[in-house]
Amino acid sequence: MKKSIGDNMIPKEWGFARGLELVKQAGFDGIELWLGDVPWFQMGTSDSEVRDLRRKVEDAGLVVSNVSTGLHWASPLSSRDPKVRALAARIVEREIETAVLLGTDAILLVAGLVTEEVPYNEVYQRCLEALRPLGDEAARAGVRIGCENCNAEHRFLMSPREFWQFLNDLNSPAVGIHLDVGNIHDTGFAEQWIEIHGPRITRIHVKDVMKKRGRCGDQSVYTNLFLGDNNWPAIRAAMTKVGYDGWLVAEMEARYGYAPDQQFYDTAQAMDRLISGRL
Amino acid sequence: MGMTRRRFLGCAAGAVTMGLPLDLWRPGRSASAVETSSRCVLLDLKEHCCLGESILGYESALASLGTRLMRAEPRSVPRCAALIVPAALEIPPPAVRAIVTCLEAGASVILESGAGFAAGPDFRAHRAVLRDCLQVHIEAPVHLWAAHSRSRGIPYVDYTWPYPAKVRDFSRVVPLGRQAGETIAWVDGLPVALKRQSGRGTLIFLGSPLGPALWAGDAEARRWLLGLANCSEAGAHERNPTSDS
Repeated sequence: MKKSIGDNMIPKEWGFARGLELVKQAGFDGIELWLGDVPWFQMGTSDSEVRDLRRKVEDAGLVVSNVSTGLHWASPLSSRDPKVRALAARIVEREIETAVLLGTDAILLVAGLVTEEVPYNEVYQRCLEALRPLGDEAARAGVRIGCENCNAEHRFLMSPREFWQFLNDLNSPAVGIHLDVGNIHDTGFAEQWIEIHGPRITRIHVKDVMKKRGRCGDQSVYTNLFLGDNNWPAIRAAMTKVGYDGWLVAEMEARYGYAPDQQFYDTAQAMDRLISGRL
Repeated sequence: MGMTRRRFLGCAAGAVTMGLPLDLWRPGRSASAVETSSRCVLLDLKEHCCLGESILGYESALASLGTRLMRAEPRSVPRCAALIVPAALEIPPPAVRAIVTCLEAGASVILESGAGFAAGPDFRAHRAVLRDCLQVHIEAPVHLWAAHSRSRGIPYVDYTWPYPAKVRDFSRVVPLGRQAGETIAWVDGLPVALKRQSGRGTLIFLGSPLGPALWAGDAEARRWLLGLANCSEAGAHERNPTSDS
C-alpha cells in the first residue's frame, strides 16, 4: 500500500511547490489533487497548466494518487435544476480528463445530496441516471469513479448494503466506492464496509472519528489517526482479507493550531504503522 | 364510463395472466382494435424537453400500469386517446400543431411545463407560446423553498381532480394566471394545474412537473395518473361511444 495526502491540506500561505516538498519530506508517496478546492487546480485550469502540475508533482518525487473534488456539494448530480446537473456532470468529466493528464486512474465524487427539498428516491434515481454515461466515459478513459461514502454528510447510501445495492443498480465496472473509513461515524463499522465492497474500492480515505460525539456547532467529530474510535486493527485486517493493496489517502481536518506541517509528519508516521500492522 | 381502481387492477391481473396487452385508455376494446391506434403518446420534444427524467417517469409509470404507449416526435404524432408532453420548455410549432390536432380530435392532452427553472428569454418564449397558441396564462416561476419556513412543512402539490392527491413539489412551480378552466391543483396557495375543454378534447396543464415524481416511484403520483387515465378514457368514450380510435 502507498500513502497519499490531499493538497487541500497544504497550508494556504505555503503554495503548491512548498507544499509538495512538505508532502515528500513527511514520507508520502503521492498526493491527492482536489479540483476546485485549491487555487492551483480549478475548473478553469487549462490542460497545459494541469500538465505543469503533474511535472511539479513528479519533480518532487511524488505521483498523483487520484483526483477528488468537493464541488459537488454546491452543484450535486442530484440537483433538480437541469443547469446545475449539467455543471455537475461537467465537473466529473473534467475530473476524468485531468486524471488522464495527471497519470492517475481514479477520481472521487460525492454522488448525491439528500435534502429536505430533494428527497431520497429522486436523488437515488438521478444519480444512477447521471453516473451511467459518466461511467462509460470513465471506462473509455481508463479511469475509475469512486463515489465517496459521505454517510451522514450527504444523508445518502448510509449503510454498506445500501451502497452495495446502488453499485449493483449502476452495474458499471468503472464505478466503485471511494471508501472513507472516518465517515461512518456511529452507524456502522469501517471494516465491514471494506469486507462488503472489496474489489469495488477505488481508494481509501483515512482519518479517525469520535463516534459518540456527533457534530456540535463547529466541533469536529474527526481527528487524527488512532485518536478516535475506529478499530484500526480490524480495518487493517479487513484490507488484508479483501486484498486491498492500493492507495491510502489521508483526509484529515487541518486542526493543528501551531506548526501545521507537523500534522503531515504525524499522519505519515501513523499511516506507516497502519500499513505495517504494528497496531 | 369510468374505471374503478379495483376494476383496473382486476383487468391488469387478468391481462398479465393471459399474456394480453392491457388496454388502459380504452377498456373493453379488443386487442385487435388496439393495434389500429396508439392509446397514449408521449411527445418527445428532445432538446426542448428540459427534464429527461420526466419523460422516463411517465414512460415507466404507464408501462407498469400496462398502458399501450409510444413515443413520438412532434411531426409524427398518431391519433391517440391521450397525448402527454413532459417537461416542455420551448414548444416548437410542430409540437403546438400536434397538441391542437389532438385536442380537436377529442384527446386528452397533458401538457407539463418544464419552465420552473427557466429564466429570461427561455421563460418568456415559453409563456408566449402557451398564451398565444393554447390560451394558457402563466406567471413567473416561484421557488417554493426559498421563502419556505420549516414550520410550514413540505409544500406538497394538492390535486383536487380527478380525486384528491398529495404529490411532492418539484422546488419550483409555474403558477397559473387568471383564466378560463378549472384549477385542479394548488401548492402554497398558488394555482398550479388547470383542466379545460379545448376543441373536442381536454387540456390538462401542469405547472409543477409530475414526471420526476413518477420516475422516483411516488405511489401517490402514479395513483393520480391512473385516475387521470380513467377519466380520459371515460371522456373519450362519451365523446365517441362507438369508435375504436
